[in-house]
Amino acid sequence: MSDITLEIKLYGAFRKFGDSVNLRVVSGSNMDQVKEALSKELGELVHDSALANDNTILPKSYVFEQSATLSILPPVCGG
Amino acid sequence: MSSSIHTEILTAPLDIQTACDFVMDDAHGAIDTFIGVVRNHHEGNQVQGMTYDVHEGLAEATFAAICEEAQERWAGTKYYVAHYKGELPIGGISVIIAVSSAHRADSFESCRYVIEELKKRSPIWKKEHYPEGKSEWLPGHSLAEAS
Repeated sequence: MSDITLEIKLYGAFRKFGDSVNLRVVSGSNMDQVKEALSKELGELVHDSALANDNTILPKSYVFEQSATLSILPPVCGG
Repeated sequence: MSSSIHTEILTAPLDIQTACDFVMDDAHGAIDTFIGVVRNHHEGNQVQGMTYDVHEGLAEATFAAICEEAQERWAGTKYYVAHYKGELPIGGISVIIAVSSAHRADSFESCRYVIEELKKRSPIWKKEHYPEGKSEWLPGHSLAEAS
């Protein structure tokens, strides 16, 4: 399997790490595998956060096949 | 989005008249509004201001989805939802929701529904600013459970 690159845009409490990080994972990785890799860069808050593309939050069953630009959404508190 | 729902993220000051103008309808006898304002304290701490971070595309889509849900429960209602992005001082307006309906009960109930769902589901984050230059991102509702 080949590697893919996920550009992960950062919000809220993750802003201290910059505007985005790049993550290289194996194509076909699942959500748990991507979050585990991401937590090594951004910390345990990743596990309480959701990954999203520009249109929707990705489901737990999502499989990462291709390089993409995504967002990591920490717990929200608008209003 | 339907012509009876308007949602937006703004970096300019939010305006209550704009909200009311959008939901005004000759067939509606009630407009209910919610205005979120930055207060000067939180859990015993003095607060000097707030910064709002927003995933704009997802936030607007979430606002629209919430309003559409509300329209299914309270038929014929109209909605304006705007949230601020950036830094606000004490007294700054962070969110405005306006809902109109034929009769007041629907406006009251649906406006409450929209703000409660917005706080739980919208990708928005608050950073409180304290005296002596300290600041902190606030905890919130995890969206991971919803995925």
